[in-house]
Amino acid sequence: MFSAGRLCVKTAGREAGKHCVIVKKIDEKFVMVTGPREVTNVRRRKCNIHHLEPLMIKIDIKPDASDEEIIKVYEKEKIYEKLGIEKPKPKPKKEEKPKETKPEKKKGKEPAKKAKEKEAKPEKENAEKKTEAKKPEEKSAKPKTQEKKKK
Amino acid sequence: MPRPGLRVRALRKIRKKIPGGASIIFYFKKKPSPVKCAKCGKPLHGINPKSKKKTDRKVFRIYGGYLCSACAKEEIKAKARGG
Repeated sequence: MFSAGRLCVKTAGREAGKHCVIVKKIDEKFVMVTGPREVTNVRRRKCNIHHLEPLMIKIDIKPDASDEEIIKVYEKEKIYEKLGIEKPKPKPKKEEKPKETKPEKKKGKEPAKKAKEKEAKPEKENAEKKTEAKKPEEKSAKPKTQEKKKK
Repeated sequence: MPRPGLRVRALRKIRKKIPGGASIIFYFKKKPSPVKCAKCGKPLHGINPKSKKKTDRKVFRIYGGYLCSACAKEEIKAKARGG
């Protein structure tokens, strides 16, 4: 009854109520079980026979099969429809960003000083622009607060 | 007449006779009852409804906080067998 390929439902623990597949038999009491994880969120671990409820469905897999092989068999035999589960969505691939290369540090003190002076000038210009932008915002904010107090 | 602090519906009141012969009112504070299973009525384990942490107020299982573990097993089996 509890051999490789039998579909079950877990009745105890954190994963109670979810479907799983038996992968191999360890003992007279224990059994290795998996979801697979992408389908039903049940991890690959051992489980007690008394905490499983077997179903009338059985699939052909070798003992110690991987999750990818099990998913292929699921799609062949249309098990998603029999159990009433949705198919897992494919994960979007993460695009690798090109590594940003830092500019080479120039040796010597004089070129470093000139580079700092150049950096200081555009910072001052940006600071002046920010203060100019703040002043008209403050003026427009003041009459709004006065209107709220009147109400 | 009892003092104003005792004329409150939050207190439980019982009238009793004391050995001297007089009849007196006894006042008791009310306490909340424990959380119980919706099906069999037994008190549930692992739940403290007064704590501030979310993990102390629930159990991480299907029907957690509503049914006990035995009643939840019966519901899961009945669903799997076509109930």
